[in-house]
Amino acid sequence: MPLLSSPRTVFTLALLLRLVLLLYGTLQDAFSPLKYTDIDYYVFTDAARFLAHGHSPYTRDTYRYTPLLAWLLYPTSWPGAFWFASGKVLFALCDVLAGWLIYAILRGGGGGSREGSGNGMDETRAIRFASLWLLNPMVAQISTRGSSEGLLCVNVVALLWAVLARRTRVAGVLLGLAVHLKIYPFIYGASILWYLDERTTSGDNSAGKEKKKKGQKTGPMTGVLTFCNRARIEFAIYAAATFLLLSGAMAALYGREFVQHTYLYHLTRIDHRHNFSPYNTLLHITSSASASASPTTHSKPPIRLESLAFIPQLLLSTLLIPLILAKRDLASTMLAQTFAFVTFNKVCTSQYFLWYLVFLPFYLPRSTLLARPRLGLSVAACWVAAQVWWLQQGYQLEFLGRSTFATGLWWSGIAFYFVNVWVLGIVVADIGRGGAVLTWKQKE
Amino acid sequence: MKHRITYFLHDPSEFDISQIEVKSDALSVDSLDAAKEHRITLGLSELPPELRRALSECYELHLRWTRPTPYYHVSPLLSRSSSGMHLFYTPQLGSSQNFFCSAFKQIFGDDLKCINPATTFTNVSILSERFATGASQQYHTMLSSLAELITYLSHKVCKGRDYACIKQMQSLSSAAYLDIDYDTISHALTFTAFWDSAPSSHGWTDKHSQLGPTHQTEVGILNSETPTEPEELKLGGFLTVIGEDDHPSPTLFAFPSRHQPLPQSSELDYRTAFRDPTGLHPVLQLIFPSSQLESPGESCALHTYLTLPSYLFIDKYQLSDPLFLASQNLVALHSIAGETDLEAPDWIIKTWGSAALLELSTSISTSASADEELTVSIPLHLRYLSPSNATLGQIQVPVPWPIVFWACVADEGTKMNVNPFDRVNLGYDGLFGPRTMFYHVPTAPTKILVQHVRVPILNLDDAQYVEIGTVFAIALGSLWVLWKLLRVWTGGYHENVSKKTQ
Repeated sequence: MPLLSSPRTVFTLALLLRLVLLLYGTLQDAFSPLKYTDIDYYVFTDAARFLAHGHSPYTRDTYRYTPLLAWLLYPTSWPGAFWFASGKVLFALCDVLAGWLIYAILRGGGGGSREGSGNGMDETRAIRFASLWLLNPMVAQISTRGSSEGLLCVNVVALLWAVLARRTRVAGVLLGLAVHLKIYPFIYGASILWYLDERTTSGDNSAGKEKKKKGQKTGPMTGVLTFCNRARIEFAIYAAATFLLLSGAMAALYGREFVQHTYLYHLTRIDHRHNFSPYNTLLHITSSASASASPTTHSKPPIRLESLAFIPQLLLSTLLIPLILAKRDLASTMLAQTFAFVTFNKVCTSQYFLWYLVFLPFYLPRSTLLARPRLGLSVAACWVAAQVWWLQQGYQLEFLGRSTFATGLWWSGIAFYFVNVWVLGIVVADIGRGGAVLTWKQKE
Repeated sequence: MKHRITYFLHDPSEFDISQIEVKSDALSVDSLDAAKEHRITLGLSELPPELRRALSECYELHLRWTRPTPYYHVSPLLSRSSSGMHLFYTPQLGSSQNFFCSAFKQIFGDDLKCINPATTFTNVSILSERFATGASQQYHTMLSSLAELITYLSHKVCKGRDYACIKQMQSLSSAAYLDIDYDTISHALTFTAFWDSAPSSHGWTDKHSQLGPTHQTEVGILNSETPTEPEELKLGGFLTVIGEDDHPSPTLFAFPSRHQPLPQSSELDYRTAFRDPTGLHPVLQLIFPSSQLESPGESCALHTYLTLPSYLFIDKYQLSDPLFLASQNLVALHSIAGETDLEAPDWIIKTWGSAALLELSTSISTSASADEELTVSIPLHLRYLSPSNATLGQIQVPVPWPIVFWACVADEGTKMNVNPFDRVNLGYDGLFGPRTMFYHVPTAPTKILVQHVRVPILNLDDAQYVEIGTVFAIALGSLWVLWKLLRVWTGGYHENVSKKTQ
């Protein structure tokens, strides 16, 4: 693929792909009753319009995001098709920027490192892996249809970039912002904090290990003191301050509505509608059983098992995966964390796949999925097969009205979950094998 | 107590004055082939205590019950309302609202969805501020018969003994519609029942007596005459006040009417259907013969008023794009009131549902004219219904046929309320100005004006393994990942790699 070996070509193609999709989308929206634009984008732009007229963005039903997003899309409230599409342009530019950051991280110099100073890839290899994101039609389609996930992805990749470039304050601000935008990136806090030790600070692998051993011999107080190094404290303070500042400001401006729709809603939502989560059918049953007071219907289970669902999810994604893997390979660890978080989540839709897709280019170069193509193809085939099975069951329910809830949908959801667990196991093992592929040495 | 009984003759040529007999204290009719309206006006003191208590919480109350089977519409009672029971209600300021629902359920049936008005009723959207008579809250339920009300009245009013009284109450079972109106200003409760024809094929053979010195009973036997003004209806016949008149007095009068029939030349009607397959997003279709879609006037627009139980809802955002609306033969969603949550399942919805007013497109595209039918599609969405046992994974839920009418603007200065048979507070009338006339489109011949839609629901008999299965799967998956993590932690993979490389 000589075509895809030049960064300039790939970025031009990436921009062109998005431009074509944007234009195509505008045409389809103008002439067809079936819209290219994502429903969420109408939610954002309606909210921006409410904002422009001096109302709260929460006046729009189902607006469950920070008001910051509506502010960011303020220009979409201006008249004309171009301004209406300006939010999509922003999202598309964000996801190209995410692609550029992926490339920069793979090159190993934040865009400006000297040759040979890190474990960076050569240009051709780096751009090929970055193309997984940049030229991915799914990614380009999601952002040009107007889903805000691109915004979050650039935020999260920038966070990784900042940590690897030792800009801990910037990283803190980015994490605070990401958590403010969507709650889930808080999981990265754990892995980044654990990653920011003396070894990665000094950039010397062997020294780090020795220090670690020394730390174990000394008392627990010294251990705590060693853990609380400058980088970690800075990162934590900047992250917490950014999050509190942004959320505090939004709460002050929009009050209860902001807290309710942006955060509490996600904690109290029932998630009864069919989705990829393995918990879905169980939640459907228990939520209706607890709502109906009638004793004749399904008897309530003694313990609400689904309320314990956060245990495996958070144990893996915020504790064990960061602790065991973060220091070996931060980028791949963040992939594993996201993968665990999504796989064990109580709700899962296809937009969540983007959350881990953005980390794939960091993991794949050293993964057994590529080293052993047969394994890689089997995994991909199983993942696709489970998806197709689920989608077919979902279609039968949604459009043909057949009750596939407890049968096909549940089985396919569980099958998809097991495929994801399998993939997660492979990722974990690969990180265990591979080690610090993306640990940059400090610039001398 | 006041009674007003009006017979509307089906065929005046078959009527003979000898069918009426007036005595000093009674009036009898014999084998009268007619529709009948019976209006009873009661003072508050004449009501059972629990009803008085419930009414003390109301500022105004208008109940409109229509039977699910079609009936014959007779002039001047031309208004239409979708089947089931509609309530339009304004609470008394500062009242507790504690008794309304309990009295309501006691009278109409225990299984009705009514927690209290503040929770179950929905706010009426106000499009026309000038229309002063509109109530502030709305409710609807698919009540298919008045059996519970008849039992209640027989027990409370007739005390279970008065046979004539019980018989009169039981006649409600064949009524086409029943209106109950109350407002604090008049302090009177009005019952209006309508029968499109007598229950027996021999027509009405009734005897109306004067019930006491304070009780007025007026009987009219009327038939529809051809009006001279286009906005008017005209009635002729006989009126008798029992105890005052010793013979039926002839009468002829005309009045402007809010509700109008279609022009006689028009054969327009409509039927409804759900587009197959329905899935979770059923599309309600209104099907018209396209050749008949001729407007009765220049200022008119074709509308439909939908009453949707809580399990069905309209996504107003979906109905905001002109291209999409046009593709469904819709012009606009003018009003949507009630439960519009786009995500909630039915089991957490506490309100009764929603009501919507849509304007329909009557422009026939060239491709559609070939099949001679115009289909208007109204995209609806189903909420998830509670899982249950003993179903085959689906249940049928009812939705009343929406009503369809041309709304036209009447001439300046038209006073609709001089009509002695005026009927307001039907839900849709409050969404238009006071000078609006409704030319009602009749329904195509059908057995029942209720459409059923199939809803897939989770069958709990199929789901017994779900709970244990999910827990098992989560445990197994977690343990697998934990095992992998443990091997990394203990350095298992490093050894593997080094062994291989050696």
